[in-house]
Amino acid sequence: MHETSMVRRLIEMVVQEAERLGGEEVSVVRVEVGALSGVEPMLVQLAYDQLTPGSRLAGSRLEIEVVPLRARCAQCGVFEVPQFHFTCPRCGNSRTVVVSGEEFRLVSFDQFTKPGEPQE
Amino acid sequence: MTEVIAGRARVKTVVLNRDVNAPLRGRAEQLRQEWTRRGILVVNLLSSPGAGKTSLLEATAKHWSGRQGMQVLVGDLATDRDAQRLAPWAPVVQLTTGGACHLEVPLVERGWHELPSQDCRFLFIENVGNLVCPASHDLGEHLRVLLLSTTEGDDKPGKYPKAFRTSQMLVISKTDLLPHVPFSVDAACADARAIQPDLECVPVCARTGAGVAEWCAALERRRDALLAGRTDASG
Repeated sequence: MHETSMVRRLIEMVVQEAERLGGEEVSVVRVEVGALSGVEPMLVQLAYDQLTPGSRLAGSRLEIEVVPLRARCAQCGVFEVPQFHFTCPRCGNSRTVVVSGEEFRLVSFDQFTKPGEPQE
Repeated sequence: MTEVIAGRARVKTVVLNRDVNAPLRGRAEQLRQEWTRRGILVVNLLSSPGAGKTSLLEATAKHWSGRQGMQVLVGDLATDRDAQRLAPWAPVVQLTTGGACHLEVPLVERGWHELPSQDCRFLFIENVGNLVCPASHDLGEHLRVLLLSTTEGDDKPGKYPKAFRTSQMLVISKTDLLPHVPFSVDAACADARAIQPDLECVPVCARTGAGVAEWCAALERRRDALLAGRTDASG
């Protein structure tokens, strides 16, 4: 289960950025997990729930958005890839390029503002 | 539970849009550039446990018998059995992951510096036997080779799409068993090419030596292309 090491890096990223912005508590962390990211959303959630208690992100919630796998055919445009078969369903072109679905991305997080901190 | 305190319960959203694996990917890219500069073709070998990665490397070293300088980093959860097998044939460093299911860049980098010399033509990284997790980790290699043995079944590519999609070469191993197992080399290659159309397929039997010369020639071609690209880039 390599999700543990990836989630550890995710937590480090959030903590580092949250510290830089004043160190107030983080309430929500949002990530995108692509269908071909090699990362299983359920295991990401499990790792997050195991690793955050006792850390600076204790009590925070993880929101996962699963990104479908899409590829682009030079002739026909973007299509959703069924069953990991990357051939264009319209013209049969096999040389298509993945445009989304490979990411494991930290999108954003919500952090409490300090008393008196101006709202954005 | 977060206690909401008056005057503090305001929340700001910090947008980052950052790839979680970017730091490791950056380090992998630096290693790749270093290996390219040194003229070393680095091969990351992926397969399920027991598909014959170590046997293929033994056969490769025997075939070249010192003509092409090769070194090996071999990853396992435990023991140095693979390193002991390979030691008579090539300089080798065992990377023990201590239970982790795949290799990551920092361990590979440490192993690279433990090798007796930084001068060779081919560096093989034998990954931990696993077709899932290693597929998500760039180790700085130039070439990712996936081994699929004939006893595993020709329906595997579609089941492990990430590993096949990210590989450039498919070695079908244990071809001596083809008369005894329901495995079609053509079907396996076709299934794999539906996922990765540019995959080069090479059937090999490490035990009898069949296909080993073709495999070694394919590696030499890949290294020639790497060196040619390097000359183009600097010129």
